[in-house]
Amino acid sequence: MIPQEFDYSAPTTLKEALQLIADGERKVMAGGMSLVPLMKLRLAAPGHVVDIGRVSDLNHITESGGVVHIGATATHHDLETSPVIRGRCPLLAEAASHIGDTQVRNMGTIGGSIAHADPAADYPASLVALEARIRLVSAKSDRTVAASEFFLDPFTTAVETGEMVLEILVNSEEPSEGYRYEKVAHPASGFAVVGVAARIKKTAGKISLARIGVTGLAPRAFRATAAEKLLESGGDIAKAAAAVGEGQEANSDLYASADYRRHLARVWAARAMTVALSRAS
Amino acid sequence: MATTVKPETLVGKKIRRREDPRLITGTATYVDDVKMPGMHHACLVRSTHAAARIKSVNVKPALERPGVVAVFTGEDVKDVGSVPCVAHLPGLRMPHHHVLAQDRVYYVGHPIAVVVATDRYIAADAADAVEVDYDVLPAVADPEKALAPGAAPVHPQWPDNVAFTFHQEGGNIEQAFRDADVVVKQRITSQRLIPMAMETRGVVADWRAAEKSLTLYTSSQAPHLVRSLLANIFGIAENRLRVIAPEVGGGFGSKIDLYAEDMLMAFVSQRINKPVKWIESRRENFLGTIHGRGHVDYYELAAKRDGTMLGLKLKIIQDLGAYLQLLTPAIPTLSVLMMPGLYKFKHISADIVGAFTNCFPTDAYRGAGRPEATHGIERMVDILAAELKMDPAELRLKNFPATDEFPYATPTGLAYDSGNYALPLHTAMDAVDYTALRAEQQQARKNGKLMGIGMSTYGEICAMGPSPATPTGGWESATVKIEPSGKVTVLTGASPHGQGEETTFAQIAADELGVDIDDVVVLHGDTLLVQYGIGTFGSRGTAIGGAALYYALQELKEKIKRFGAMLLEADQVSLVGGNCLDERSGKSVSFAQIASAAYRAMKLPPNTEPGLVSTHFWEPPNFTFPFGSHIVITDVDPDTGQISIRRYVAVDDCGKIINPLLVAGQVHGGVAQGLGQALWEHAVYDDNGQLVSGELTDYAVPRAHMMPWIEASHTVTPSPVNPLGVKGVGEAGTIGCTPAVVNSVVDALSHLGVRHIDMPLTPEKIWKLVQGAR
Amino acid sequence: MKISGSYLLPVPQARAYDLLQDPMVLAKAMPGCDTLDRIGDKEYHMKMKMVMASISGLFDGKVRIADPQPHSSFRLIVEGSGKIGFMKGDGLLTLTTVEGGTNVSYDGSVEVGGTIAAVGQRLLDSTSRMIIKRFFEKLTAEAAASGTAAPAANI
Repeated sequence: MIPQEFDYSAPTTLKEALQLIADGERKVMAGGMSLVPLMKLRLAAPGHVVDIGRVSDLNHITESGGVVHIGATATHHDLETSPVIRGRCPLLAEAASHIGDTQVRNMGTIGGSIAHADPAADYPASLVALEARIRLVSAKSDRTVAASEFFLDPFTTAVETGEMVLEILVNSEEPSEGYRYEKVAHPASGFAVVGVAARIKKTAGKISLARIGVTGLAPRAFRATAAEKLLESGGDIAKAAAAVGEGQEANSDLYASADYRRHLARVWAARAMTVALSRAS
Repeated sequence: MATTVKPETLVGKKIRRREDPRLITGTATYVDDVKMPGMHHACLVRSTHAAARIKSVNVKPALERPGVVAVFTGEDVKDVGSVPCVAHLPGLRMPHHHVLAQDRVYYVGHPIAVVVATDRYIAADAADAVEVDYDVLPAVADPEKALAPGAAPVHPQWPDNVAFTFHQEGGNIEQAFRDADVVVKQRITSQRLIPMAMETRGVVADWRAAEKSLTLYTSSQAPHLVRSLLANIFGIAENRLRVIAPEVGGGFGSKIDLYAEDMLMAFVSQRINKPVKWIESRRENFLGTIHGRGHVDYYELAAKRDGTMLGLKLKIIQDLGAYLQLLTPAIPTLSVLMMPGLYKFKHISADIVGAFTNCFPTDAYRGAGRPEATHGIERMVDILAAELKMDPAELRLKNFPATDEFPYATPTGLAYDSGNYALPLHTAMDAVDYTALRAEQQQARKNGKLMGIGMSTYGEICAMGPSPATPTGGWESATVKIEPSGKVTVLTGASPHGQGEETTFAQIAADELGVDIDDVVVLHGDTLLVQYGIGTFGSRGTAIGGAALYYALQELKEKIKRFGAMLLEADQVSLVGGNCLDERSGKSVSFAQIASAAYRAMKLPPNTEPGLVSTHFWEPPNFTFPFGSHIVITDVDPDTGQISIRRYVAVDDCGKIINPLLVAGQVHGGVAQGLGQALWEHAVYDDNGQLVSGELTDYAVPRAHMMPWIEASHTVTPSPVNPLGVKGVGEAGTIGCTPAVVNSVVDALSHLGVRHIDMPLTPEKIWKLVQGAR
Repeated sequence: MKISGSYLLPVPQARAYDLLQDPMVLAKAMPGCDTLDRIGDKEYHMKMKMVMASISGLFDGKVRIADPQPHSSFRLIVEGSGKIGFMKGDGLLTLTTVEGGTNVSYDGSVEVGGTIAAVGQRLLDSTSRMIIKRFFEKLTAEAAASGTAAPAANI
């Protein structure tokens, strides 16, 4: 478990970091929780690693103008415990608490996790359900991409050559909104066999908004829009949950076949919706 | 004159492990902590194919790298000899197991070349640069498929893939089946497992040409065995060969063997005339350290309508892997010995077919053959109970030998030493309130809930074992030295690697000599330091090594008393509280005074030599046979198939208990590994022989948060086999656990017509069964 | 691992068949393909670099077309090996004319070995499908780009 020889830079400013990665020949690393194991297995062998963990002010978690800004190098532990996240988008704090173990949550970052785009990672379900935006910067550009357009395929994102994730933007939730992240963790890897993030808003006793994000089931995280519509049009949870995964090609592996995964997604979607609804006021 | 206060007895007390401070402060010395001047590092090039002819190996790109001093391939080591297997069975086909592949590879991970460099990073990069050209051959990775006509031959010289067949019979099996009212049959598998010691294997070899001596540090459970085998293989005299097992981070049977890498490093050090280190990566540990289990078993049980068990037929198909490691073919024979479990079968018949497959060899893994047999018989008893519509506890109680039938002779040729098999079962049933639970289960079923109550009443064969029955030799040794200062040093031939015998043996010595436990140091694991010994495996450390220590202590005590009597000018003295006491005069002398007199030797007792040292080699007259009962209550989520363990009650009888804390630890650890097999773990080879659960991302070892609370308690039935009355407990948890869990889950689904589920009980399997029944 | 699926190529069946047998087109459509050199009848040597986020590997292998039934079906066999393991895909591609072009259905198996097999089984299914999807997407783009130009001869 020894990686191939590589060069290492640890810039302390964003400008320096962006210059280093401009030509796409160097690999960005933040917490290293995804990259380092791959390097040790020699599945990844970057010639040069740019560690952005020491770039100052990149791990901010702040709120301004109804938008929560989460810096790329904020750790899972930061998200799990941040009063801003817990107060303004508690769904994300709940998702963060399901990631890996304590050591991983202390080291791993939200930017690193989403840039890696493991199809069974926890964040993407919540980020698509929250309609989050991802801000990508390069030496020459600065743009924002919707979460639903950020995750493209397994390990494939909208990040272009020379770009890196700068921050994640999430609209502040109203305290009355109900939320839940439910996950079936793989007993070995801890990754989501399926993970379902639910947000439900009620107006005058009726569901006025439903957002359901699903991870682990398909090659990329997606919003279960059919289920959302059913909930919003007064459909009951069982009917809505049964629509989760419609039209999606389900993943399969040793632990869970495609059929079983699809079934699990529906069972856990129903459970997530139930809790989210009970939390909505 | 010293005061004589009899200290409290330590045996039976919860004494904290004396090993722990160095472990939890990170100051223990494992093989990877060994550093030597001039030490080089080795990295192996391993096959990515399960079966292939090697067309060429190009080592040039590796040799050209700065820092690489040598690359050795099959040709270099063709005369080094075979990785040893010491198990002998009639007609056994033993493939020559070269330390590096010759013209062909037999499993994924098969070592092809070894790269030696000045540091470990250079070695790893250079190993990557070695180019191997393969001509891929068909592989077979499943033992039943290997035995089917037309299967790809693992070894071309044995096209049927049969390494051996073995038959054993007791009683009259045909008669038993003729007399039976009921016969139940079931195919039961015990899947391949990865032993997964926390510390992977590692070797440092240091050849000194001028002295013609070799020192080998290796993460081993049996350093003396390694020395003997290496001495034989390399022709190095044992007195020039030193094997050290430093701190060993777990073995579970996987570190009894002498491995190719041990031999290879000994070879490399001799060739480069420098010390060389190899540390196994976790990936290599999956691919190249022995696996456990790998059984496909076919059972037939004959019984009377009233539940009386008559006869048991068993056919074992043992997945051996491509080669035979140290004990590989012997493991399923232990299953045969254990097959009747605790029940009074008079008639048995067993057949084993050992099948070669393009996989890494199986060998002893915690329980070694007994978990497979116990799982089988305990499942069969539940299947019979279902067939007879009898309560599984009642059926078990009906078939136990009575307490006055011990020693109890089994039809497999064993004599169970002592037992009260109903007691732990009753104790466990009382702990869970069994009758109330069954009522609750009825109610739960009415509400559509799936709740299971499962039990196992297991027996096992421990204290391996009398020498004629044990391929490695079955005795154990101990030396006790009273140092001139009066402090006590114990050298044990056992090689503890997590069992805590530095603590338990100190308890025994402190009690026998009446000294403070802090005055006792227990040493082990270095062949230069310790007299010849066998090692630690098969729950033998305390039951045999402890007994050897006990006898060595008795001999030493006699000598101490002779010195004490001389100093006190008394005819008779007794040993009390670390002093020799003349009970008539009330005078006493301390250990330190006696030791000083024994070494200073100004005056000696009659017919007595100076010094206070004794060594005892003890050959046990029989195995020991611990037993117990585990009851597991599960709740199964019908919507997802997820199993949750509501209660886990373990009542084990391991004879007398030296240290309840360590016994509890053994039970907890054993149950964890049992749960691993029952619920999560499976070493899966695909049809091409690729180990697809080859990392901890897919192979699910239980973690702390996955463990239920274990309610562990004990009954105590002393063993008459050894003077300590102990039986051994290292494997009990693993053996008792799997059938109790599976019986519980099958019980939860029994009203749906489910009779058996093979391990691991993954949620999808359970969900499909529930779906199928709907 | 078994794998099957289908893809709609927006070109007529004969054209789709020719495109799928054209080494120039295959070289452009195979994800990560660096070079594709003819080494025999319907057999090519291929070097490819697979990159998926952090994971990357160089593969050296062969592409072979077997059992060609012009315009209706053929077998495509792709094999490669590299430091991180090896892979072999063997699939029967069947072409049928449908509205809007040609339906290409594939039915076959994927084998992998080495590190990718040992640690990647969780992702094998989804990544295999992604690679196939990319192949057909590129092929569609190539079909559009190459217009009506005749495919390379002598394949």
